[in-house]
Amino acid sequence: MTRFVLHRLLLTIPALVGLLVLTFIMLRVLPNDPSAALAGENATPEQIAAVRKAYGFDEPLWKQFVIYVEQVGTGDLGNSIISNRPVIRDIAERLPATIELTFVSLLFSACVGIPLGTLAAVWYQSFFDHAMRVVTVAGLAIASFWFAIILQMIFAMELDWLPLRGRFPVGLAPPLHITGLYLVDSLLTLRLDLFGKAFAYILMPAFTLSLAGLASIARFTRAGVLETMQKEFVHYAEAAGYARRRIVWVYVLRNSVVGATTQIGLLFGGLISSAVAVEAIFDWPGVGSYAVNAILTSDYKAVLAVTLAVGLIYSVVNILVDVVHAWLDPRVAEKL
Amino acid sequence: MLILRKFLRDVPAVIGFGIIVLLCLIAIFAPLIVSDLNAVYDGDLVSRLQPPSAEFWFGTDSLGRDVFARVIVGSRGALAVALTVVSLAIAIGVPAGLYAGYSDGWGSQLVMRLTDVFLAVPQLILALAVAQLMGRGLGSAMAALALTYWPFFCRTVYGEVRRLRNELFIEAQRCLGASTSRILFVHVLPNVASAVIVRATIGMGFTIMTTAVLGFLGVGATPPNPDWGLAIAEGRDYLPQSWWAVTFPGLGIFITVLGFNLFGDGLRDLVDPRLRRSR
Amino acid sequence: MKRRTFLMGTGAAVTAAAMGNRVVLAQPMPDELVWADDLPGNLDPYSVSDVPMQGYMINVYDTLYVNKENPPKLVPWLATGHSIGDDGLTVTFKLREGVKFHDGSPLTSEDVVWSFGRLLNVKKGPAAAFLPVLDINGITAPDPTTVVFKLKQPYAPFVAAFPLVAILNRRQIEPNIRDNDWGQAWLASNSAGSGCYIPDISTYQPVQQLDMKRNHDHFMGWSHNNSPIETVRRRTIMETTTRVNALIKGDVDCTDSYLPPDQVDRVLASKTATVTKNQTMRVMVLRMNNKKPPFDNRNFRLAMSHAFNYKGFIDGVLKGYAVRNAGPIPVNLWGAPSNLAPYDFNLDTAKDYLAKAKAEGAPVEREIEIQIQQHLAQTTQAAQILQQSLRKIGVNLKIVANLWPQLVSSTAKADTTPDMWAHWVSAYFIDPENWIGQMYDSQFHGTWKASCWYKNDKVDALLREARHLDDQAKRQPLYEEASRIIVADAADIWIYNAIELRGISNRLHGFEFTPIGSGADYRTMSLTS
Repeated sequence: MTRFVLHRLLLTIPALVGLLVLTFIMLRVLPNDPSAALAGENATPEQIAAVRKAYGFDEPLWKQFVIYVEQVGTGDLGNSIISNRPVIRDIAERLPATIELTFVSLLFSACVGIPLGTLAAVWYQSFFDHAMRVVTVAGLAIASFWFAIILQMIFAMELDWLPLRGRFPVGLAPPLHITGLYLVDSLLTLRLDLFGKAFAYILMPAFTLSLAGLASIARFTRAGVLETMQKEFVHYAEAAGYARRRIVWVYVLRNSVVGATTQIGLLFGGLISSAVAVEAIFDWPGVGSYAVNAILTSDYKAVLAVTLAVGLIYSVVNILVDVVHAWLDPRVAEKL
Repeated sequence: MLILRKFLRDVPAVIGFGIIVLLCLIAIFAPLIVSDLNAVYDGDLVSRLQPPSAEFWFGTDSLGRDVFARVIVGSRGALAVALTVVSLAIAIGVPAGLYAGYSDGWGSQLVMRLTDVFLAVPQLILALAVAQLMGRGLGSAMAALALTYWPFFCRTVYGEVRRLRNELFIEAQRCLGASTSRILFVHVLPNVASAVIVRATIGMGFTIMTTAVLGFLGVGATPPNPDWGLAIAEGRDYLPQSWWAVTFPGLGIFITVLGFNLFGDGLRDLVDPRLRRSR
Repeated sequence: MKRRTFLMGTGAAVTAAAMGNRVVLAQPMPDELVWADDLPGNLDPYSVSDVPMQGYMINVYDTLYVNKENPPKLVPWLATGHSIGDDGLTVTFKLREGVKFHDGSPLTSEDVVWSFGRLLNVKKGPAAAFLPVLDINGITAPDPTTVVFKLKQPYAPFVAAFPLVAILNRRQIEPNIRDNDWGQAWLASNSAGSGCYIPDISTYQPVQQLDMKRNHDHFMGWSHNNSPIETVRRRTIMETTTRVNALIKGDVDCTDSYLPPDQVDRVLASKTATVTKNQTMRVMVLRMNNKKPPFDNRNFRLAMSHAFNYKGFIDGVLKGYAVRNAGPIPVNLWGAPSNLAPYDFNLDTAKDYLAKAKAEGAPVEREIEIQIQQHLAQTTQAAQILQQSLRKIGVNLKIVANLWPQLVSSTAKADTTPDMWAHWVSAYFIDPENWIGQMYDSQFHGTWKASCWYKNDKVDALLREARHLDDQAKRQPLYEEASRIIVADAADIWIYNAIELRGISNRLHGFEFTPIGSGADYRTMSLTS
């Protein structure tokens, strides 16, 4: 098992190098010459040219890449053109918000999706099965920001049950910064009142995001359970007189969630992208909206840094998924 | 015709199929359904943001154009984009996944690392880069989306093939002397197909959804294209009072994705050899 | 079984905790203003000089002169007055005494000299207005309350540009200078000012939020305001719909100054908020690249000028919240000829001019392109309206989406400048130079403001003379004549002068609008419950 984990870690390195090259190429090929943006709105062409020289935008591409790799190696990802602070600091401040949102969304998706998928498989071709399939797919098909606005209108404006936007009440100090995840930090510092507030704020955004993942997880669980249920060991267990519930939820599920866990890994990466719309509507101070703003303002250092950060997270999550995969199905770990 | 009867028993799948057929008909016969095709592009500014009425079934948008006409004509673009992107992604991803999943060694590793790299790049950024390279517009958006989507197929196929590789019947075929390509195409591929189909149908939905985000950033469909995603992007500032500008294109997306997914589900249940036993 | 009960129990407890506090979630405090307009990219007032920065700067920093009221007047602030020498090149400012920075140290002429030195070295943001005419050696401080500027050439808008330059506290910045950066890295997330409000940097999250506290010792005093606001909490809201909803719900006390006209009625109908409507100085213009055929043909440009549905756009799309502007200078500023007839929407006239252009050999068949910024809905709408009309007279207009930084860099050369593009020209300083001067004097070719590549020697001469005179009475006829020539040449399509719409909550009083800063001056504001 340890060998498997180490092996997977080693394999991540070329992926990250490839990511560096890919993102650098993309961003230098983008005709986004930020000199004009840097020099200011009323700059003369001479001022813009001076900025271009100062930042080294007129150097050959390969030279810029070498400089860039050197900088990344020493942890210097440069300053955001807009905020003029190290991009690492900008991203570090915003990353926990996105991670928290993504995690809670996935939790919602899994907690609802896995049981739904299992039940649908157990009651195959029944009305419940059909209804579940239609409902979960409907969740996929709804435009996320449209749904977000509906939720806002109903729960924040009409009923006034939930807050309209943001991550935490204006003017209230957030929980002590341990992980940056308000839900976790408030529990760690035993502030249940703060936990409640943070939970109220994350409820709508996470629920909106969870819809897309729900369908995927439910469907793959259903497929996995359907397949496993036909296996011989299930028939044997039934014949041996094990309680049906135990068979399904303990034995079958373990064999079936393989497909679902792969989906969770894939979903994580996609969620960060699709979180953009949700982050914008709810003013969730995360990395998605940061990236979009960076793209719109040609803040190329920020775009690069976000890509690397997301890429890194994604690789880590995938390693975890593979490890879980191997734990659930030890045969996978055998054949490296 | 046992298969047909089995399919007809699956009600959601039939509904899905029906939706797809309806959609294709609407897309093909759009000029007949929409009385005046000019209404898609020309609007009367005086009748902006009119609610649905007898004259304008879906109301008018922020430039006075008939939303019904735009939604109907927009179905063409939506279908074209979804089908093109997914087909491209399958064409690249499935063979890659088959190869990587079945063989060992550095070739397989290379493919999977490449997959990791492409999967790790946020869709948005890759899409923008490609758009810059190829010029903005729907064509480059489609190419970009295909490039971000093929890894999903590759990975899914890879996972399935890896699992199948250990199955007894594949080992049996190898013992019997079957060639790799025969094993791959006759035995492995059908088992993998269902996962691919399911992935493809989810892909349709994500494609149409992502196109909307790309449209907002200025990549992808440009005005005055009646693209559904673009219509939502343009109409979002007028919510909640002028809800029709966003709701009807949104419904278009919703019904389309619903149809494809339900159908894909049904197809998978039909085709999956593991479920062939009568149950 | 046990696990399930535990989970359910926790869920119930959490929900109870969340629900029990829901009243507290929404309401802002009675003496706190929640200002939901955009924060600038960073906090250094010399890094950029756009609309968000203006809104921030006028509260946290002081300048020698400020703009007040609408129509705007130049009012002495840190300075008590100024005098211009006979040569027109020496400008002497007298400073107020007893002004203190936020850290308690006194503000003297040395701080003004140091600030301008920083400006001229950093060369960004507001520097563009001063670099052509000012040298660092030309600024001196003979005594603690006098600053003397020696210009390289006469420049009439010189004093008008002073509200752009914040006076910085050298003592706070100097210890934080790294690598000769004049403290830019530090000031980007800190403050060193003397203004009415003091930022609480511990609350600063770039672009998202910042809290400010009232400066009780501000030199202008607070006697004009019975109940000034103690705490301002700035929160940026990204999505228009969310912003309007938040205002109506009572979560925030304002929207940004670009409230969509279609949302005005909704805000007015609510019990919690209202809408302020003020004519500002911000002209929307569709640029035409005068160097690219067929736009080099005057008849073609005239055809285009008659092909835009001005009334439909202003009354229909903007619901009347705009003022038709015939030329480049805003109609409410001196220098704009009062009887200048704007072009009207007439497709027959357009067709005639088109035929003339074609007869003269202009390539009217070619597909022309207009570049828009897709997240600025009005540019898209204007382009589509133009496209509709042009199709009726046989001109093919293609709409291309682009982003501001790319658009700006493309205007460096005539062949990379787009055929047409849509943008606004806001008030950076209140002087016709900001509009007509920087847009149509050929010496500015290569900047985005002059991206029409218009060249007319007579206009150049008029504008250059007006730039050097200091008497408004002498400059006005020059600008008016230049306007007439440029409009007759149909160099661009000028659409409207903006009416700024901003939603504010009913509990906010003392909102005073001026075009620069958009009324975000907290000094005059107070809240009632």
